Amino acid sequence: MARDNTQPSDPLERWNDALTALQLLQLDPLGFGGVCLRAPHGPVRERWLHALAGLGIGLVKVPGSVDIERLLGGIDLAHTLQTGQLHSQAGLLQQADQGLVCLPMAERLSPTLLAPLVQALEQGQVPPTRHSAAPTPTRFGVVALDESLPDEPGVGAALAERLGVWLDLNELSPSDIHAAWQDNSESDGLQIRLSPGALARAREQLPQVQASDEHMQALCTAALDLGIGSLRVPSLALRVACSHAALNGRSTLDADDLGFAARCVLAPRATQWPAEPSAQESEPAPPEDATPPSEPPEPPENADQAPENDAEKDEGLDPPPEQNAEPSAEDLQEMMVAAALASLPPHMLDALMTRQGAASHNTSGRSGQTRAGSQRGRPLPPRPGRPGGQARLHVLATLRAAAPKQRLRQAHSTGRVAIRAEDFHIQRYQQRASSCLILALDASGSAALQRLAEAKGAVELLLQQSYARRDSVCIVAFRGAQAQLLLPMTRSLVRAKRAMTGLPGGGGTPLALALKMAYEQAAQLQRQGVTPILVVLSDGRANVTLQGLGGRAQAQLDAQSWGQQWRASGHRALWIDTSMHPDAQAQQLASTMGASYLPMPQVQSQRMAHAIERVRSSQA
Amino acid sequence: MALTFPFAAIVGQDEMTLAIQVVAVDPSIGGVLVLGDRGTGKSTAVRALADLLPPISVVKGCPYRCDPAKPASACPVCQARDPKAKVVTERQSVAVVDLPLGATEDRVVGALDLEKALSQGVKSFAPGLLAQAHRGFLYIDEVNLLDDHLVDLLIDVAASGENLVEREGLSVRHPARFVLVGSGNPEEGELRPQLLDRFGLSVQVRTPQDLALRVSIIKRRDAFDKDPEAFKALWHKDNQKLQKRILKARELLDAVEVSDDMLMLCARLCQQLGTDGLRAELTLLRATRAYAALQGHKAVKAEHLQSMAPLALRHRLRRNPLDDTDSGARVQRSLQEVLAA
Repeated sequence: MARDNTQPSDPLERWNDALTALQLLQLDPLGFGGVCLRAPHGPVRERWLHALAGLGIGLVKVPGSVDIERLLGGIDLAHTLQTGQLHSQAGLLQQADQGLVCLPMAERLSPTLLAPLVQALEQGQVPPTRHSAAPTPTRFGVVALDESLPDEPGVGAALAERLGVWLDLNELSPSDIHAAWQDNSESDGLQIRLSPGALARAREQLPQVQASDEHMQALCTAALDLGIGSLRVPSLALRVACSHAALNGRSTLDADDLGFAARCVLAPRATQWPAEPSAQESEPAPPEDATPPSEPPEPPENADQAPENDAEKDEGLDPPPEQNAEPSAEDLQEMMVAAALASLPPHMLDALMTRQGAASHNTSGRSGQTRAGSQRGRPLPPRPGRPGGQARLHVLATLRAAAPKQRLRQAHSTGRVAIRAEDFHIQRYQQRASSCLILALDASGSAALQRLAEAKGAVELLLQQSYARRDSVCIVAFRGAQAQLLLPMTRSLVRAKRAMTGLPGGGGTPLALALKMAYEQAAQLQRQGVTPILVVLSDGRANVTLQGLGGRAQAQLDAQSWGQQWRASGHRALWIDTSMHPDAQAQQLASTMGASYLPMPQVQSQRMAHAIERVRSSQA
Repeated sequence: MALTFPFAAIVGQDEMTLAIQVVAVDPSIGGVLVLGDRGTGKSTAVRALADLLPPISVVKGCPYRCDPAKPASACPVCQARDPKAKVVTERQSVAVVDLPLGATEDRVVGALDLEKALSQGVKSFAPGLLAQAHRGFLYIDEVNLLDDHLVDLLIDVAASGENLVEREGLSVRHPARFVLVGSGNPEEGELRPQLLDRFGLSVQVRTPQDLALRVSIIKRRDAFDKDPEAFKALWHKDNQKLQKRILKARELLDAVEVSDDMLMLCARLCQQLGTDGLRAELTLLRATRAYAALQGHKAVKAEHLQSMAPLALRHRLRRNPLDDTDSGARVQRSLQEVLAA
């Protein structure tokens, strides 16, 4: 499977890497954490999963609805009640020992499950639960399937961080890989699975693989160049490269192995375009005040042209020199960085060029948000119900319910408590739903700089209030021809402040775009169990259409139609009219949206905060 | 038990390893908060504690691992014991307990023993994580994302040193005195001020940018992953040395002198920085004393104060929540002014 490692990112290449990753999993399921696969549900992913299932290594699927007892092991309640002897059952993580844990929809996993899973992965043992004092050793790899859309938070960072290989098959169509299957074999996945002989040879080879100092140095430098701070990543990349070498029967790493590690471990995590060597300062430059370098070291091929199905290998690109001389650490590192950059899809490259990469990686997935569940919060009185899923048995209430009926049930005295299903009580918790303020800030010319400064002051006060309430904030700013998500949902004042200070003013008023973005944000928050509340700070004089063109009449119509959308969603909203001479326009829009309306020629922070408080506490 | 990375083999992150050693010398300082990105060796350092610290002697059969020399007044087991009976002791390693983010309340505080309730119909208490962490360390990764009600619990227990359970018909009080170690990334959410205050020291970790350092970290990690036992054996001596140093510091601690001038200096510094309450001063004093003991000095000097002030005060500055200048730098600046005065 020797390949050029300076290929531009082409689909077939990516598919081949995904298949190689499968072989690595078969060879060394525990060595590099596992695989995080971003791909929508579809034939491509099915193919991959089918091949995964055919590898012949243990694969335990963990559904998102699993309860913690099943995950970590616990008491087998039914059995215990039946016999009066304690029966515990092994959890899924113990069952996965020496094999793989597969997490479908990993991006939706609740922190309650994610945390112990990461703990077990990290320590090679299942954390002790309440009913088993001793931790049980188990070692497994993880295959996390991530179906999140590009603008959604993906797999929780705590988990994703520990999975070596990240694959992204989002943009692969079945026709892309069809050729690959034709080449390999028509029988599913048999080519992928290593024969017992080959597997044994590779496994024997694995401990022998040596990485030289140059290799380590190259890995570290490449990671640093791509703006990957975490030291876990080069460690994992090293493991992946070693496995890749063993797979190909080598005892020393070569450019192929490092190239694979660069493409599958480093590249997806890159947060910056490699700086010029001269700019190697000890302090990493914060993403804001960095300018994209004018000359990238290796402009990747423009992947705009539709890739050919039979993806011909581009021999024109110079392959790494096949010399006998050992390549130096610098050569290797340049090769790795080039391979990493070449494997990135164009939109990722753009993000790196504009230094947006760092920000988009700084999510904690869904692990940051608490969502309504019956697992946490203030305990409420127990009520009758069947335990399982999200509900824990409330033992005491259950026993209490069973107590008076003991005499009746003791047909044959066994000295045990006789409990029937109807006695079951479950524990309930009440959780305060958290809410998120979506602030839509008008930064257009008509809002005037004076207004904007006042609004900023008010927003800061709001932020402080939200912080005190433990709510989060998200800011959408709009001006000129676009609305931008200035700040994704956060509780961090530091970030909010930073986002606010850099906001310029001037330009047209693309209200429709802003409302559209707010609507999309709200829908996303809603999915996460957070209640969205919209606050619009604008004079309502829309003059930029949905297409980002001028045209007052069309712009108003567009704004109205998105206003209706908002009303249909049923979320609360407040419109603060910031114009000096409030007129009917903003008011009309507000009523279309079902929003409260508040004219405020001079934005008064306190007054605004009170108004928001009222909206917040009103029943939608 | 999975093997842990030897503490002595940790390179870089000097501030963090120092803070951890300081609280190991004097647990009453009240814990360490580590702020920074992922993959900076936070968990590695915390988990390495268990075999860095010498085993403690515990009362055999006491679920709360009481100290035979002075059983906790809150321990229901030791208090119920016949005072004339001979106490059997055993040695156990110091507990480093993980409190995972999604932990349920009953898992943390303890709950009714389900097993006994079901099979014998007996009501008894099964201790939770807080009990396990008694006399040891409680580690919370991503502490800033911890649920509010758990934060409330922790704040209460960390202050009182005992855990009060009144639920499911149980009424139990047991000792829970532990060193809280938390880590998190402030970009992902703030920590509640009350909890912030419970942490004695706070350190900021960044990924080392020095390439040679990074390479040596990766090398050691790789060597450890390949053959943990051999790697541990290799570092055993250094680990023992560190352990001895901490033990010696503990013995020395009470003898370390703090002059009145030093006390004044601490007070003035806290005043100048406008830290809240007396807790800051107390923590600063204790940390400085522990650090001096760790260095083997018999008296606290200004240099000790200089090393510890940023750690002890950084997170206690009364700040405008929207001001994001580096607080460590502010502490240093004030200290220079106070020293010059």
